[in-house]
Amino acid sequence: MAAPPLLLVTVFVAFPIVVAVAYSLGHVGGLNATIASIAREQHTVDAWWQQTFAAYGDVFADERFLRDLGTTVLVTLVTTVAVVLLAWVIALYLRMSDSIPAKVLSALAVVPMFIPVVIASWAILTFYAGDGFVRTIVQAFGGDAPTLGYTVVCITIGMVWTQLPFATLMIVSGVQGVPQPLIEAAADAGASFGRIVRSVIAPMALVPTVIAATFTAIGTLGAFTVPYFTGPNAPTMLGVEMAGYFTSFNLPQQAIVMAVVVFVIAAGFGALYVWANFRQAQDAGRV
Amino acid sequence: MTGRRIAVAAGALALLVGLTACAGNGPGAASSSGNPAQTVRVYLGDDTNIQELWQSTLIPGFEKANPGVTVDLQFDLHATNKTQTIAKLAAAAQQQKDPGIDLVEGITDDAVKAGLLADVGASVPAAAGIDPKVLAAAGLGAIPYRASSVLLAYDTATVPTPPKTLDELLQWIKDHPGRFAYNPPKSGGSGTAFVATVLDKFVPADVRAQMTTGYHKELESNWAQGWATLAGLNPYVFQKGVYPNGNNGTIDLLASGQVSMIPVWSDQFVSGQEKGTIPKTVAAAQIENPSFTGGATSVGVVKSSDRQQLAIKLVNFVLEPAQQQAIAAKIAGYPVIPLDKLPADIQAKFGAARPGELRPTYFTDHGKDLNNLWDQLVPGH
Repeated sequence: MAAPPLLLVTVFVAFPIVVAVAYSLGHVGGLNATIASIAREQHTVDAWWQQTFAAYGDVFADERFLRDLGTTVLVTLVTTVAVVLLAWVIALYLRMSDSIPAKVLSALAVVPMFIPVVIASWAILTFYAGDGFVRTIVQAFGGDAPTLGYTVVCITIGMVWTQLPFATLMIVSGVQGVPQPLIEAAADAGASFGRIVRSVIAPMALVPTVIAATFTAIGTLGAFTVPYFTGPNAPTMLGVEMAGYFTSFNLPQQAIVMAVVVFVIAAGFGALYVWANFRQAQDAGRV
Repeated sequence: MTGRRIAVAAGALALLVGLTACAGNGPGAASSSGNPAQTVRVYLGDDTNIQELWQSTLIPGFEKANPGVTVDLQFDLHATNKTQTIAKLAAAAQQQKDPGIDLVEGITDDAVKAGLLADVGASVPAAAGIDPKVLAAAGLGAIPYRASSVLLAYDTATVPTPPKTLDELLQWIKDHPGRFAYNPPKSGGSGTAFVATVLDKFVPADVRAQMTTGYHKELESNWAQGWATLAGLNPYVFQKGVYPNGNNGTIDLLASGQVSMIPVWSDQFVSGQEKGTIPKTVAAAQIENPSFTGGATSVGVVKSSDRQQLAIKLVNFVLEPAQQQAIAAKIAGYPVIPLDKLPADIQAKFGAARPGELRPTYFTDHGKDLNNLWDQLVPGH
């Protein structure tokens, strides 16, 4: 008999994924019958052993999808790099300084975790909007700041804002975990700050960094709320596009094709996470 | 081993109980009071103002007019459980069992498409008074009972003379860059109306009539000029091509003075001015040649229901002048019956919006294509 956790994962995670992927390949019977009776422009097969990639063909022939896929990947990469850099700066500051500002900074970086994303998105949008805070301040000094509301830049700012807390928690704990004697020994041997970071702290905090980067990338890849509220109508991110395909255009099969594409990309980032975990287990002598 | 098996079984049982308990919140779980045969079960998948309309006006009125009859309202906010409800109706129809719902509102389009509604036209005499175009657009079995249309809202402080026709409006947009906004059609009906109206400028009337009542994908080629016109507006609309999401997205921009003119739903305009979310300096009027499209909301009697006669009685009731007047007063909805059957003040209130000339929107599937094509062809081009 299967263990209950395994059963739970099979029923609630694996099974729906299999059903959805089967639908994207043209299988409209069984559990897909209800959605298939409502959907439009479906590609179907007649027997269970057949497959059709016509829905994939539809999606990849649409230049809007390719454009938005590019935007999604770009936003994901920029967000991940920015989040990891910011989290590292905070972690190092906290490691090297025991001052109150350092503690306040690290606490502030975690605050977005407690603010609902919908509220945050609206706040970010109004902050950078045409009549928002940034432009108002610059205007007061006689300048003219660009309007960032409804741009891809605004999406990226919003994503960095929402993803920073988790990465900060991961990386701060990783950097804090480096034993003080190692750092002092390196300093005694005449190593500069940069050298200590590069040769002592970074290698020891590599695994948490990879984990933080992976989760940031996967979280950004599937984002909906931030790009929906703060982004432009075109180009947009795939989360928004999928919702449009599913509900507004009533093309669920094509929406699921996009979900499969996002899943494949996320699986690529996920492989990094698995590698990092394996490496951590290896370091701990468990493997 | 036995102990473990019992634990698993207990767990599975708890899960089942939990699932059953969850079902208690959805439609279909409401309690039935009174004589079951004399209870009409109404599924209402809509917003809270419509819930209020039914709960405090239509239902008490109906129960009072028909002693012994009760109405069991199954309210589903924003029709979140639409898919499940349609699936339930379809399953009941297949197995020829009673679905537990007699009248639907808010999911009528899908129910019509799936062929789940009874053709009750002959038993609803008031339906003859409904505009035939609106009635035909609703589909087989759907009876429109309230309507609203999209109007042009403008800030009287910055726009002394609003455009009166579509051509004047398009010219106004070009003359005043960044002062007009509409929402993407996929995100709300006021944007859809603007887009459909611009498209209609180039669609011959007979072709449009076919696209109102049925799905003919090949006729969508008539939209080409309209798409070019809409894409050509990109540099002149808000922020050189930004289309805020939702009917409220544009209202926010108008209220904060970032734009001067937007398309707006008639009922949202009236209730927005009452609540103060739309400033008093904003006025709204219909344009001409063509006018903005509007939409009727329908009720439908479920085909597999065994209490169709009671449901038909309720449909006839909501189409009576008194109830149509209540709809106009409560939610600023347009009456669907001829205006001359209603009191003078209602006639005056809706005269400017001319509900009699309500131009129906496109057939459901064309509407989905319109959303999709707009997304492909307009923003960023």
